[in-house]
Amino acid sequence: MIWSAFKLSFLVVSVATVVVAVAGTGLAFLLARREFRAKEMLDSLVTLPMVLPPTVTGYYLILLLGRRGLLGRYLFVLTGWTVAFTWEAAAIAAGVMALPLMVKSARAALESIDRRYELVSFSLGKSELETFFRVTLPLASRGILAGVVLSFARALGEFGATLMLAGNIRGKTQTLPLAIYEAFISGDDQKAQIMAVILTVTSIAVIYLTNVLTRPPKAA
Amino acid sequence: MLDVAIKKQFGANGHAGFALDAAFAANQGITVLFGASGSGKTTTLRSIAGMVTPDAGRISLGGSVYFDSAARVNLSMQKRRVGFVFQDYLLFPHLTAAENVVYGAKAQNERARRQHAAEMLKLVGVDYAADRRPAQLSGGEQQRVALARALASDPAILLLDEPLSAVDVTTRSRLLDEMVEVQRKTAIPFIYVTHSPADAVRIGDLLLVMAEGRVVQQGKPIEVFNAPVNVPAARVVGTENILAGRVASHQPEEGISVVDLGKCQIVIPRSQLPEGSRVTLGIRAEDIIVSRERVSRTSARNLLAGTVRYLLRDEDGVELVANCGVDLKVRITPQAAHSLELAPGVPIFLLIKASSCHILP
Repeated sequence: MIWSAFKLSFLVVSVATVVVAVAGTGLAFLLARREFRAKEMLDSLVTLPMVLPPTVTGYYLILLLGRRGLLGRYLFVLTGWTVAFTWEAAAIAAGVMALPLMVKSARAALESIDRRYELVSFSLGKSELETFFRVTLPLASRGILAGVVLSFARALGEFGATLMLAGNIRGKTQTLPLAIYEAFISGDDQKAQIMAVILTVTSIAVIYLTNVLTRPPKAA
Repeated sequence: MLDVAIKKQFGANGHAGFALDAAFAANQGITVLFGASGSGKTTTLRSIAGMVTPDAGRISLGGSVYFDSAARVNLSMQKRRVGFVFQDYLLFPHLTAAENVVYGAKAQNERARRQHAAEMLKLVGVDYAADRRPAQLSGGEQQRVALARALASDPAILLLDEPLSAVDVTTRSRLLDEMVEVQRKTAIPFIYVTHSPADAVRIGDLLLVMAEGRVVQQGKPIEVFNAPVNVPAARVVGTENILAGRVASHQPEEGISVVDLGKCQIVIPRSQLPEGSRVTLGIRAEDIIVSRERVSRTSARNLLAGTVRYLLRDEDGVELVANCGVDLKVRITPQAAHSLELAPGVPIFLLIKASSCHILP
């Protein structure tokens, strides 16, 4: 039970973190650098999972992605596959819950950069894309990395939305937090303790890493 | 040849608004855009670079049109080939000095880019600091690297926005000379924004005075400073006459030195600078006395004969521009103008105390 939950958590969290890191940075760039009408709406939508109870977020995800969901029904018709009760569902739930942290961190990092660095790059003949990768991203790297680490931690601890969308199927969708719950309910305190320690140690490491990453560089 | 004729309105509904309406042409050499903060000089510079889009007008450099509202042309910054040096340099902090210059260098391949960057660093005299990060460079060194970076991108024109306002006085003086040298070597036209009269006179081939969004006067810097042709220009250039000359001789026992301005000589308090040194003299317009007759016994060490060119009247008084070989502006009261019957062409004498003439740093 412990080992399978650990493996599954690792898979779910890795996939969720990578996707969230890329998508979150992209969204943050849109929010930090572009002006468009629905900008604050988009920001609110992305941030919503941070304030909603996770079960509500999970419920909305079912409405959206379930077999009869807004998008899920087309997915089912086209492929015969549905997301509910798969490890991918756990990854989606974890990703959606982690996204606000990623976007907030990356947006703050991008907004703290003097825009004129980008203007200098443009005046040197560099395209927006090249400027993003060679100037903007390196300058924002600390804040973005901090966002990635926080997202990782959030995805690792995800419980409510995962339970709603993916269920609690051992070896399939049962991540560490779900496994702890089950172990505790069935009176297997020892297992629950071991897994709790694993999560605690990981979380402490993550907090430490975030602090190191967001510390300003030492003056030369 | 740079041609600019642009309009831009800031602030809506007419209140607290600012209207830019700048028109000028700049040739080879160094063109100085001079004005107080808020006069529109930086906005003009940014419009040329493509960082700001004017509401209407046209900007072209030689054959290439950067902006033309009538023809709906608005070239991207990347396509303008405009070098831009900011006041605070903005070197990329995650790259070394050399990498900063390589970043924008135009050349066939990476090796050629490195080579070109090294040449540019050498041209501006900071090749010794190539491997340092911006945080490890002094203000003057950062300024030089920023100049090298802009030059390496092979710009058709170089725009400098108060590039020396953050360096100390001695470094500033050296950098000014270096900048003129670099401009002559590269033959890239420079547009140089400043609010320092000393800088403007020192490096400008052409001076454009900006006030309230307009170019109110243009010409050779010394001429513009000492003979503003309208009240807005007079207000911007201030009440100091700025004169370029050389230390001609010293008379230590008399406590004076003589500065040769070409067409006349000015006595100043004893200076420690060696004979032949190039100096910029400042004489405040309020410190000059006008007389219709030659005054013989006076403590004023300078008595210059000349004629009135013209008078400008504003709410504070009268600004008289006199020609005594060089142009000098003199601040007088309307009453003095009346009682001396001053008018264009009238012969006059100017009295200036030696201690009213000081060398500008």
